[in-house]
Amino acid sequence: MIKVFKILIQVAVLYFFAIIGNLLSSILHLPISGSIIGMFIMFAMLYFKILPVSKIEMGASFLLSEMLLFFVPSAVGILQYKEAVFNYGTQFLLVICLSTITVMIVTGIVAERFSRQKERYR
Amino acid sequence: MLVSFLCIIMTIVSYIIAKFIYKKSKIFILTPLIIAPVLLSSCIILLGIDYTDYDKGGRWLTNMLQPAVVGFAVPLYKYRAVLKKHMRVILVSMSSGAIVALASSGIYAHLVHLKNDYLLSLLPRSVTTPIAMVISADIGGVPTMTAIFVIVTGICGLILGPIIIRFFHIREKLAKGLLLGMGAHGAGTSKALEFGTEEGAAASLAMVLAAVLTLIFAPIITPLILL
Repeated sequence: MIKVFKILIQVAVLYFFAIIGNLLSSILHLPISGSIIGMFIMFAMLYFKILPVSKIEMGASFLLSEMLLFFVPSAVGILQYKEAVFNYGTQFLLVICLSTITVMIVTGIVAERFSRQKERYR
Repeated sequence: MLVSFLCIIMTIVSYIIAKFIYKKSKIFILTPLIIAPVLLSSCIILLGIDYTDYDKGGRWLTNMLQPAVVGFAVPLYKYRAVLKKHMRVILVSMSSGAIVALASSGIYAHLVHLKNDYLLSLLPRSVTTPIAMVISADIGGVPTMTAIFVIVTGICGLILGPIIIRFFHIREKLAKGLLLGMGAHGAGTSKALEFGTEEGAAASLAMVLAAVLTLIFAPIITPLILL
Protein backbone atom coordinates (compact mmCIF):
# COMPACT_ATOMS: atom_id res chain seq x y z
CA MET A 1 0.00 0.00 0.00
CA ILE A 2 2.87 2.35 0.89
CA LYS A 3 4.41 1.45 -2.46
CA VAL A 4 1.23 2.43 -4.33
CA PHE A 5 1.13 5.70 -2.45
CA LYS A 6 4.79 6.42 -3.25
CA ILE A 7 4.24 5.71 -6.96
CA LEU A 8 1.19 8.01 -7.00
CA ILE A 9 3.16 10.88 -5.44
CA GLN A 10 6.12 10.37 -7.78
CA VAL A 11 3.81 10.30 -10.81
CA ALA A 12 2.29 13.56 -9.54
CA VAL A 13 5.78 15.08 -9.33
CA LEU A 14 6.50 14.01 -12.92
CA TYR A 15 3.15 15.46 -14.00
CA PHE A 16 4.05 18.71 -12.26
CA PHE A 17 7.21 18.97 -14.39
CA ALA A 18 5.15 18.31 -17.52
CA ILE A 19 2.82 21.17 -16.53
CA ILE A 20 5.79 23.50 -15.96
CA GLY A 21 7.12 22.45 -19.37
CA ASN A 22 3.74 23.17 -20.98
CA LEU A 23 3.62 26.61 -19.35
CA LEU A 24 7.15 27.47 -20.51
CA SER A 25 6.39 26.20 -24.00
CA SER A 26 3.27 28.37 -24.33
CA ILE A 27 4.70 31.49 -22.64
CA LEU A 28 7.93 31.44 -24.66
CA HIS A 29 6.21 30.19 -27.86
CA LEU A 30 8.69 27.32 -28.14
CA PRO A 31 8.21 24.82 -30.98
CA ILE A 32 8.97 21.95 -28.57
CA SER A 33 6.31 20.08 -26.63
CA GLY A 34 5.98 20.81 -22.91
CA SER A 35 6.67 17.26 -21.81
CA ILE A 36 10.05 17.27 -23.59
CA ILE A 37 10.96 20.55 -21.87
CA GLY A 38 9.83 18.95 -18.62
CA MET A 39 12.11 16.00 -19.36
CA PHE A 40 15.12 18.27 -19.89
CA ILE A 41 14.39 20.19 -16.67
CA MET A 42 14.06 16.89 -14.83
CA PHE A 43 17.34 15.65 -16.34
CA ALA A 44 19.09 18.85 -15.24
CA MET A 45 17.69 18.46 -11.72
CA LEU A 46 19.03 14.91 -11.56
CA TYR A 47 22.36 15.81 -13.14
CA PHE A 48 23.06 18.69 -10.75
CA LYS A 49 21.88 16.54 -7.84
CA ILE A 50 19.09 18.98 -6.91
CA LEU A 51 16.72 16.01 -6.90
CA PRO A 52 17.96 12.51 -6.05
CA VAL A 53 16.95 9.91 -8.63
CA SER A 54 15.47 7.73 -5.86
CA LYS A 55 12.70 10.32 -5.35
CA ILE A 56 11.16 9.71 -8.78
CA GLU A 57 12.59 6.39 -9.93
CA MET A 58 9.61 4.23 -8.89
CA GLY A 59 7.05 6.51 -10.49
CA ALA A 60 9.08 6.84 -13.69
CA SER A 61 9.64 3.12 -14.11
CA PHE A 62 5.94 2.46 -13.40
CA LEU A 63 4.90 4.90 -16.13
CA LEU A 64 7.48 3.58 -18.59
CA SER A 65 6.62 -0.07 -18.00
CA GLU A 66 2.86 0.52 -18.36
CA MET A 67 3.31 2.98 -21.20
CA LEU A 68 1.42 0.77 -23.66
CA LEU A 69 -1.78 1.40 -21.67
CA PHE A 70 -1.61 5.11 -22.47
CA PHE A 71 -1.36 4.31 -26.17
CA VAL A 72 -4.55 2.21 -26.18
CA PRO A 73 -7.08 5.11 -26.42
CA SER A 74 -5.17 6.54 -29.40
CA ALA A 75 -5.14 3.14 -31.08
CA VAL A 76 -8.92 2.95 -30.60
CA GLY A 77 -8.97 6.25 -32.48
CA ILE A 78 -8.60 4.14 -35.62
CA LEU A 79 -12.42 3.75 -35.40
CA GLN A 80 -12.65 7.34 -36.62
CA TYR A 81 -10.63 6.50 -39.71
CA LYS A 82 -12.29 3.26 -40.83
CA GLU A 83 -12.68 4.66 -44.32
CA ALA A 84 -9.05 5.79 -44.65
CA VAL A 85 -7.78 2.43 -43.40
CA PHE A 86 -10.14 0.59 -45.75
CA ASN A 87 -9.09 2.67 -48.76
CA TYR A 88 -5.38 3.20 -48.11
CA GLY A 89 -4.47 0.40 -45.68
CA THR A 90 -2.10 -1.34 -48.11
CA GLN A 91 -0.29 1.90 -48.98
CA PHE A 92 0.10 2.78 -45.29
CA LEU A 93 1.51 -0.64 -44.49
CA LEU A 94 3.87 -0.55 -47.48
CA VAL A 95 5.26 2.90 -46.59
CA ILE A 96 5.70 1.99 -42.92
CA CYS A 97 7.42 -1.35 -43.59
CA LEU A 98 9.79 -0.03 -46.28
CA SER A 99 10.66 3.07 -44.30
CA THR A 100 11.28 1.10 -41.08
CA ILE A 101 13.62 -1.22 -43.00
CA THR A 102 15.50 1.74 -44.53
CA VAL A 103 15.89 3.51 -41.18
CA MET A 104 17.11 0.41 -39.38
CA ILE A 105 19.66 -0.46 -42.09
CA VAL A 106 21.08 3.09 -42.22
CA THR A 107 21.25 3.54 -38.42
CA GLY A 108 22.71 0.08 -37.85
CA ILE A 109 25.36 0.24 -40.57
CA VAL A 110 26.50 3.78 -39.69
CA ALA A 111 26.80 2.88 -35.99
CA GLU A 112 28.58 -0.39 -36.78
CA ARG A 113 31.14 1.20 -39.14
CA PHE A 114 31.83 4.13 -36.82
CA SER A 115 32.38 2.06 -33.71
CA ARG A 116 34.65 -0.38 -35.56
CA GLN A 117 36.73 2.50 -36.95
CA LYS A 118 37.12 3.92 -33.48
CA GLU A 119 38.47 0.60 -32.24
CA ARG A 120 41.01 0.36 -35.08
CA TYR A 121 42.56 3.77 -34.36
CA ARG A 122 43.13 2.99 -30.73
CA MET B 1 -19.43 11.86 -16.92
CA LEU B 2 -20.42 8.34 -15.91
CA VAL B 3 -19.77 7.07 -19.44
CA SER B 4 -16.30 8.63 -19.45
CA PHE B 5 -15.45 6.98 -16.16
CA LEU B 6 -16.75 3.65 -17.44
CA CYS B 7 -14.59 4.05 -20.55
CA ILE B 8 -11.44 4.52 -18.45
CA ILE B 9 -12.24 1.37 -16.47
CA MET B 10 -12.98 -0.56 -19.68
CA THR B 11 -9.66 0.55 -21.17
CA ILE B 12 -7.68 -0.54 -18.11
CA VAL B 13 -9.50 -3.90 -17.92
CA SER B 14 -8.91 -4.66 -21.61
CA TYR B 15 -5.25 -3.69 -21.18
CA ILE B 16 -4.89 -6.09 -18.23
CA ILE B 17 -6.57 -8.90 -20.19
CA ALA B 18 -4.36 -8.17 -23.22
CA LYS B 19 -1.21 -8.25 -21.10
CA PHE B 20 -2.31 -11.56 -19.62
CA ILE B 21 -2.90 -13.06 -23.07
CA TYR B 22 0.52 -11.82 -24.23
CA LYS B 23 2.29 -13.32 -21.20
CA LYS B 24 0.53 -16.68 -21.58
CA SER B 25 0.92 -17.02 -25.34
CA LYS B 26 4.41 -15.50 -25.76
CA ILE B 27 3.52 -14.78 -29.39
CA PHE B 28 4.90 -11.33 -30.10
CA ILE B 29 2.32 -10.54 -32.76
CA LEU B 30 -0.29 -10.75 -29.96
CA THR B 31 1.19 -7.64 -28.36
CA PRO B 32 -1.12 -5.81 -25.91
CA LEU B 33 -1.05 -2.99 -28.41
CA ILE B 34 -3.05 -5.09 -30.85
CA ILE B 35 -5.24 -7.11 -28.47
CA ALA B 36 -6.38 -4.30 -26.13
CA PRO B 37 -7.56 -1.92 -28.88
CA VAL B 38 -9.34 -4.79 -30.68
CA LEU B 39 -11.14 -5.86 -27.48
CA LEU B 40 -11.98 -2.30 -26.60
CA SER B 41 -13.18 -1.32 -30.06
CA SER B 42 -15.50 -4.34 -30.16
CA CYS B 43 -16.93 -3.37 -26.74
CA ILE B 44 -17.47 0.21 -27.85
CA ILE B 45 -19.24 -0.87 -31.02
CA LEU B 46 -21.34 -3.54 -29.24
CA LEU B 47 -22.39 -1.14 -26.46
CA GLY B 48 -23.13 1.55 -29.03
CA ILE B 49 -20.85 4.10 -27.38
CA ASP B 50 -20.00 7.08 -29.57
CA TYR B 51 -16.26 7.53 -30.19
CA THR B 52 -16.34 11.16 -29.02
CA ASP B 53 -17.88 10.01 -25.71
CA TYR B 54 -15.19 7.34 -25.38
CA ASP B 55 -12.50 9.90 -26.08
CA LYS B 56 -13.64 12.12 -23.20
CA GLY B 57 -12.53 9.35 -20.86
CA GLY B 58 -9.70 8.03 -23.01
CA ARG B 59 -8.06 11.43 -23.08
CA TRP B 60 -7.32 11.13 -19.36
CA LEU B 61 -5.18 8.09 -20.04
CA THR B 62 -3.53 9.63 -23.11
CA ASN B 63 -2.60 12.60 -20.91
CA MET B 64 -0.56 10.27 -18.73
CA LEU B 65 1.93 10.07 -21.60
CA GLN B 66 3.13 13.52 -20.55
CA PRO B 67 4.56 12.50 -17.15
CA ALA B 68 5.82 9.32 -18.89
CA VAL B 69 7.91 11.44 -21.27
CA VAL B 70 9.29 13.40 -18.29
CA GLY B 71 10.10 9.99 -16.79
CA PHE B 72 12.53 9.27 -19.67
CA ALA B 73 14.89 11.60 -17.81
CA VAL B 74 15.61 8.68 -15.48
CA PRO B 75 17.08 6.18 -18.03
CA LEU B 76 18.80 9.10 -19.76
CA TYR B 77 20.40 10.08 -16.44
CA LYS B 78 21.38 6.50 -15.65
CA TYR B 79 23.03 5.90 -19.03
CA ARG B 80 24.74 9.31 -19.20
CA ALA B 81 28.17 7.59 -18.93
CA VAL B 82 27.44 5.39 -21.98
CA LEU B 83 26.13 8.42 -23.85
CA LYS B 84 29.24 10.43 -23.12
CA LYS B 85 31.67 7.65 -24.04
CA HIS B 86 30.13 6.91 -27.44
CA MET B 87 28.76 10.36 -28.11
CA ARG B 88 30.15 10.77 -31.64
CA VAL B 89 29.01 7.37 -32.90
CA ILE B 90 25.59 7.86 -31.32
CA LEU B 91 25.06 11.38 -32.64
CA VAL B 92 26.15 10.59 -36.20
CA SER B 93 24.15 7.37 -36.54
CA MET B 94 21.06 8.76 -34.80
CA SER B 95 21.07 11.95 -36.87
CA SER B 96 21.28 9.97 -40.10
CA GLY B 97 18.56 7.65 -38.79
CA ALA B 98 16.23 10.52 -37.88
CA ILE B 99 16.72 12.28 -41.22
CA VAL B 100 16.26 9.05 -43.17
CA ALA B 101 13.11 8.25 -41.15
CA LEU B 102 11.46 11.55 -42.08
CA ALA B 103 12.67 11.60 -45.68
CA SER B 104 11.98 7.96 -46.53
CA SER B 105 8.46 8.10 -45.06
CA GLY B 106 7.78 11.14 -47.21
CA ILE B 107 9.36 9.73 -50.38
CA TYR B 108 7.63 6.34 -50.14
CA ALA B 109 4.31 8.07 -49.37
CA HIS B 110 4.78 10.16 -52.52
CA LEU B 111 5.54 7.05 -54.55
CA VAL B 112 2.26 5.37 -53.52
CA HIS B 113 0.35 8.62 -54.17
CA LEU B 114 -0.90 9.38 -50.66
CA LYS B 115 -2.65 12.68 -49.95
CA ASN B 116 -0.64 15.37 -48.14
CA ASP B 117 -2.45 15.07 -44.79
CA TYR B 118 -1.75 11.33 -44.70
CA LEU B 119 1.84 11.93 -45.82
CA LEU B 120 2.41 14.50 -43.06
CA SER B 121 0.86 12.15 -40.50
CA LEU B 122 3.34 9.45 -41.58
CA LEU B 123 6.51 11.56 -41.23
CA PRO B 124 7.07 11.36 -37.45
CA ARG B 125 6.00 7.69 -37.18
CA SER B 126 9.33 6.33 -35.95
CA VAL B 127 9.38 8.16 -32.60
CA THR B 128 7.49 7.43 -29.42
CA THR B 129 3.75 8.27 -29.61
CA PRO B 130 3.41 11.36 -27.39
CA ILE B 131 6.17 13.16 -29.25
CA ALA B 132 5.11 11.83 -32.65
CA MET B 133 1.61 13.23 -32.03
CA VAL B 134 3.02 16.63 -31.08
CA ILE B 135 5.27 16.75 -34.17
CA SER B 136 2.36 15.63 -36.34
CA ALA B 137 0.23 18.52 -35.06
CA ASP B 138 3.12 20.96 -35.58
CA ILE B 139 3.72 20.04 -39.23
CA GLY B 140 0.02 19.80 -40.14
CA GLY B 141 -0.69 16.09 -39.88
CA VAL B 142 -3.51 14.32 -38.03
CA PRO B 143 -2.18 13.34 -34.56
CA THR B 144 -4.55 10.40 -34.00
CA MET B 145 -3.61 8.90 -37.38
CA THR B 146 0.06 9.37 -36.47
CA ALA B 147 -0.57 7.46 -33.22
CA ILE B 148 -1.81 4.53 -35.27
CA PHE B 149 1.17 4.71 -37.68
CA VAL B 150 3.53 4.75 -34.69
CA ILE B 151 1.93 1.59 -33.34
CA VAL B 152 2.15 -0.16 -36.73
CA THR B 153 5.81 0.94 -36.94
CA GLY B 154 6.46 -0.67 -33.56
CA ILE B 155 4.98 -3.96 -34.68
CA CYS B 156 6.93 -3.86 -37.99
CA GLY B 157 10.18 -3.12 -36.18
CA LEU B 158 9.69 -5.95 -33.69
CA ILE B 159 9.45 -8.42 -36.57
CA LEU B 160 11.97 -6.89 -39.00
CA GLY B 161 14.67 -5.64 -36.57
CA PRO B 162 16.17 -9.03 -35.68
CA ILE B 163 16.06 -10.09 -39.36
CA ILE B 164 17.97 -6.94 -40.40
CA ILE B 165 20.56 -7.45 -37.63
CA ARG B 166 21.24 -10.96 -38.90
CA PHE B 167 21.16 -10.15 -42.61
CA PHE B 168 23.54 -7.16 -42.39
CA HIS B 169 25.87 -8.81 -39.85
CA ILE B 170 25.44 -6.11 -37.19
CA ARG B 171 27.70 -7.32 -34.37
CA GLU B 172 28.26 -4.28 -32.11
CA LYS B 173 25.87 -4.24 -29.17
CA LEU B 174 25.63 -0.46 -29.41
CA ALA B 175 24.65 -0.64 -33.09
CA LYS B 176 21.99 -3.30 -32.44
CA GLY B 177 20.40 -1.19 -29.69
CA LEU B 178 20.54 2.06 -31.64
CA LEU B 179 18.95 0.47 -34.72
CA LEU B 180 16.09 -1.01 -32.69
CA GLY B 181 15.45 2.15 -30.66
CA MET B 182 15.65 4.44 -33.69
CA GLY B 183 13.58 2.24 -35.98
CA ALA B 184 10.87 1.10 -33.59
CA HIS B 185 10.82 3.33 -30.44
CA GLY B 186 9.52 1.59 -27.29
CA ALA B 187 8.66 -1.66 -29.04
CA GLY B 188 12.19 -1.88 -30.42
CA THR B 189 13.59 -1.12 -26.98
CA SER B 190 11.71 -4.04 -25.48
CA LYS B 191 13.17 -6.28 -28.21
CA ALA B 192 16.67 -4.89 -27.53
CA LEU B 193 16.32 -5.83 -23.86
CA GLU B 194 15.80 -9.42 -25.01
CA PHE B 195 19.23 -9.25 -26.71
CA GLY B 196 20.88 -7.98 -23.50
CA THR B 197 21.08 -5.09 -21.02
CA GLU B 198 23.71 -3.18 -23.01
CA GLU B 199 21.58 -3.34 -26.15
CA GLY B 200 18.57 -2.31 -24.04
CA ALA B 201 20.39 0.72 -22.63
CA ALA B 202 21.48 1.80 -26.11
CA ALA B 203 17.91 1.40 -27.39
CA SER B 204 16.37 3.48 -24.56
CA LEU B 205 18.86 6.18 -25.31
CA ALA B 206 18.13 5.88 -29.02
CA MET B 207 14.39 6.25 -28.35
CA VAL B 208 14.88 9.51 -26.45
CA LEU B 209 17.40 10.88 -28.95
CA ALA B 210 15.21 9.89 -31.91
CA ALA B 211 12.40 11.95 -30.40
CA VAL B 212 14.58 15.00 -29.80
CA LEU B 213 16.33 14.82 -33.19
CA THR B 214 13.08 14.30 -35.08
CA LEU B 215 11.64 17.28 -33.23
CA ILE B 216 14.59 19.34 -34.54
CA PHE B 217 14.69 17.96 -38.11
CA ALA B 218 10.94 17.70 -38.82
CA PRO B 219 10.34 21.46 -39.39
CA ILE B 220 13.41 21.58 -41.70
CA ILE B 221 12.71 18.47 -43.77
CA THR B 222 8.91 18.74 -44.08
CA PRO B 223 8.93 21.73 -46.49
CA LEU B 224 11.55 19.96 -48.65
CA ILE B 225 9.33 16.89 -48.96
CA LEU B 226 6.29 18.97 -49.86
CA LEU B 227 8.14 20.69 -52.73
